[in-house]
Formats: sequence, C-alpha cells, structure tokens
Amino acid sequence: MKKGLYEFMNYFPFLKEVIKRDFKKKYYKSVLGVAWSMLSPLLMMAVITIIFSTLFKRTIPHYPAYWFCGNLIFAFVFDGSNTSMNSMINNASLIKKMKIPNYFFCISSVTQCFITMLFSMVPYFGLCLVIGVPLTPYMLLLPLPLIMAYLFTLGLGMLLCSYGTFLRDLNYLYHVMRRIWLYITPIFYPIEIVPEQFRFLWDLNPIYIYIHIVRDLALDGVLPSERMLIIGTCYTILMLALGAVTFKEKEDRFFLYI
Amino acid sequence: MSQDKTAEKNRQPAVSLENYERIHAHTADEAILRKGSGITANTLPVRKAEIPKEELCIDIKDVSVMFNLSKNREDGVKEYFINMIKGKVGFTEFWALRNINLQVRKGDSLALIGRNGSGKSTLLKTISGIIRPARGSVRVEGSVAPLIEISGGFDRSLSARENIYLVGTMHGHTKKYIKSRFDEIVEFAELEKFIDVPVKNYSSGMLARLGFSVATCVNADIIIADEVLSVGDARFKKKCEERISQMLSGGTTFLFVSHSTAQVKKLCKRAVWLEKGKIMEDGPAAEVCHSYAKFIKSIPLKQHTKKTETQNET
Repeated sequence: MKKGLYEFMNYFPFLKEVIKRDFKKKYYKSVLGVAWSMLSPLLMMAVITIIFSTLFKRTIPHYPAYWFCGNLIFAFVFDGSNTSMNSMINNASLIKKMKIPNYFFCISSVTQCFITMLFSMVPYFGLCLVIGVPLTPYMLLLPLPLIMAYLFTLGLGMLLCSYGTFLRDLNYLYHVMRRIWLYITPIFYPIEIVPEQFRFLWDLNPIYIYIHIVRDLALDGVLPSERMLIIGTCYTILMLALGAVTFKEKEDRFFLYI
Repeated sequence: MSQDKTAEKNRQPAVSLENYERIHAHTADEAILRKGSGITANTLPVRKAEIPKEELCIDIKDVSVMFNLSKNREDGVKEYFINMIKGKVGFTEFWALRNINLQVRKGDSLALIGRNGSGKSTLLKTISGIIRPARGSVRVEGSVAPLIEISGGFDRSLSARENIYLVGTMHGHTKKYIKSRFDEIVEFAELEKFIDVPVKNYSSGMLARLGFSVATCVNADIIIADEVLSVGDARFKKKCEERISQMLSGGTTFLFVSHSTAQVKKLCKRAVWLEKGKIMEDGPAAEVCHSYAKFIKSIPLKQHTKKTETQNET
C-alpha cells in the first residue's frame, strides 16, 4: 500500500503530461478545439428537445436541463470506460518501451473524459439562467456525485481493460451495450413512465443513481435522499474494487497482446 | 483451451508431448552448435554468489520468459471459435529466455552479444521491467532508463519538446527538473533547429540522438541501450562513447546490445553471449567476443540445412 502510494506520487507528473497529450490529440487540428466539448452537448440538446419536448412537456418542467444532466453523466461514464478499455492498445508504444504502472493509462483516459465533462458543465449554468432553472446553493454539492461517477468509471474502465486487451471484440459489443443502456436509463424520458412495481429494477442501474443525485442537486435544488447516496457509494466502491482486483490479476499478461 | 488455461493459472504450462519434443530438439541443436564452435558445456557460466550483495545492482535468478507465437492469434470471438473447432486454440509457446542467471555489479558495463533472435532485447526488457518473466526473479537496485528499439517511448505525433517532457516524467522526474536539464538534452542531441517538429518527421539518426540524450540526462542508475549506438554517425557515436565512459566513472551501470565486437571491447569489461535464449558464455569482453566471432564463422550461411551436415562441415 505504502509502496503503491509512493509509486503513484513518483509518476504523478507523468500522469499530468499524458493527460495533456491526450487532450492535445483529441482536438488536434480542429478549429474550435476545446470549445467542441461545450458545443456538442448543446447542439445535441437542441435536437433532442425538438424531438421529445412535446412528448414529455407536462411531466418534466425544464426538459432541456433535464436531458442535459442525464446526458452529461451518461456520456462521461461511457466515454471514460470506453477509452480506458482501449488505453493499453492505444499506448502500446509507451508500455512496450518503458516501465510505467499500467493503471496510469486507465486513470489518464478516465480523467481526460472527466475534464471534458467539466467543460461541458459550463454551458449548463448558462442554460439554467436562460430557461429559468433556479441556481441554488445545493449546486455546490455537485462534486460529490461527480467524484462517485468518476471512481465508478475508473473501476469499470479497468475491468473492461482487463478483458478488452485480450479480446478486441469487446469493443464492438460494448457499443451495442451502450445503445441498450441508453434506452433503459431515464435520460430523455421520466422515471414515472415505468410502472411502480418495476421501479426497483432501475436501482440496479448505477448510472441512473448518479444521474438522479445530479438532478436532485442541479435541477430540483433539493438534497438527494440518503438511500440514493448509500446505493451510489456502494456501487462506486464495489466497481472500483472489482476493477482494480481484475486488472491487477491480468496486467502481467498484457505485454503479450499489445 | 485447457492447456491455455493452465498456462494462465500457474504460468508454468504443462509440457505436452509436442513441447517436450521441441525442448529436447532444442538442446540437441545447441549441443551441435557448441561442438561446432569448439565450445564445451563446461563454459556454461555458473556465477552465483560471486558478487557481494551490497554491490549487486541487477540480480537475475533462473529467469525464463515465454511468448505466445501468434500463429493463430485470437483477437476476436469469431476467430477464437473457428480455431477452437479446428482444435488450434492456444498458442505455440516460445521460450525466448531459459533459466537465465545473471548478476551485475554497480558501475559495471556489460554488453550482450548474440545473433538476431537470441533473446538480447528480451533480456533487456525483462531487466527494465517491461516484460514480466514466466519464471524466476529479477531484482534491480536503482532506477532504470531503458532505450529500447531506438525511440525510447516517444509519441510520434508530438514534437521533440513535448516528448522530452513526456519521457522525462516517465522516468519519474518532476517537470521542473526536466526544465532545468532541457537545454542540455537538446544541445547534446544537436536538435536545436528541429525541437518543435513532430517526432514522426525525424530520421532514425535524429531519433536515436534524442533518445540517447534523454536517457543519459535523467540521472538513472542503470542505462539500458538496445542497438541505439549503431544508428548515429561516426562523430555522434564517438560523442556517445565519451559520455558513456564519463558516466561509468561516475558510477552508472551500463547495459547494451551491440553487434559490433570492436565497440563492445572498447566500452565494456564484461560481455554475455546469448544464443537461443541461453547464456553461452559470460566473462571478460575480449574472450567472449573472440569465441562469439569464432562461432559466427562456424555457422554456414544456409540456416536450414540438415543438422548432421552442419556437424560435418565444421
């Protein structure tokens, strides 16, 4: 444990450099650059609002903001875990030439997506002012669910990476999964359309839990229920532990496959 | 499938009949090679507990490294199932290193020589910690700066400036430290004009210069160079050699792979000759180079002639 911490601190500057590099590469040669991470969710929001707002106008008061919160978390969890899954393959040139703890590449990919998400959050507050969502002090608690989602994504990313490095098909399978997961998560529809007796099933979806907490804080301006917080924390811890343990077990054989 | 699984579990794959035959064919082959070059089995080095523990900087005990030869590489479910039906699941195992024992003293310079595919690079990668051995233990005291395959971990789309920071931090240094050494690194590599050019546009000589310059400027205890010195021009080679001897006197340990026996004799006191993943000879550079040269001459150019022929010819 102490050795691991020492190692982490030792390579921390490296982590910063890699994240910087990933960022540079992501917006390489695009004119708007980082602005895209703010612009693209707004454009998506416009499209979705046009399509669905008439459908859910009565049940959801601030539909654009409602969708925005949901999409923000969902996109982060998926992009983060997806890039983390491919991080070994993408960084093969570094991994094969020098000894760096492998999990650093998972951390860097998830963190890079996390920063993108933070950029995407900036226009959200502007949106709130425009459509009249009250800005409340509860918004200051937002880092809590975001950190929960971050650690969950890291765990999920490490888990996927442990298998995705060996079996590249997982990548394609995961994109199909994304579609399914997108539909079963109440992002563009309200949870109320799910019959009451089945609603407990939605608690099994960690992404929904995080989205719910974020919506409580950023949209409704209330404290999230204790139940949600406890379930969310449990998912985070379980996923992180599962991911780390699997990763540790598999990482010795990565170099044979990249 | 079952074989593959056991291999994954104990990292010591069961010896199937096929493997058994191969291993034995291998040793027979080796015996012939040794006979051909006039080297007897007792030159095989057993150098345990010669160097006192405090002075040891690399201690390799009984290390074997296994690769999966990617004949039927299963990168996908479909291929996996097709191969499973064909009965071909699992890789052909290839032992790149077998039972290697090697001790290196602090401040020593050691050269690895051997033919292509004899396991030199694998051994260097094992020492730098990139490859984890299937068996045995590797203990390294101090920090390692590996320079594997010319570009020591450069990202091809980044500029040299960004790469220096990336690789420098990869060695576990802070950005501030690298900033303080930056000019020195660039100056040694003689790349002042091209510092903001993406590395992908560099020539192999330029890359090698940059790689060598970064690796020697980060104050590592052990420097590992894999054929880097053979790329630069004569003047730069000389510059490198000077720097190496300067670092050696400062207590840095130096390991390198070279195909030039003259260079080995000049730079190293000690040399290790690898052949087919085994240490054939370990000793003073001049002696080892001599028997290696003799061995090279003894191999006929046609590799796959019958083994008996090889024997007769020599």
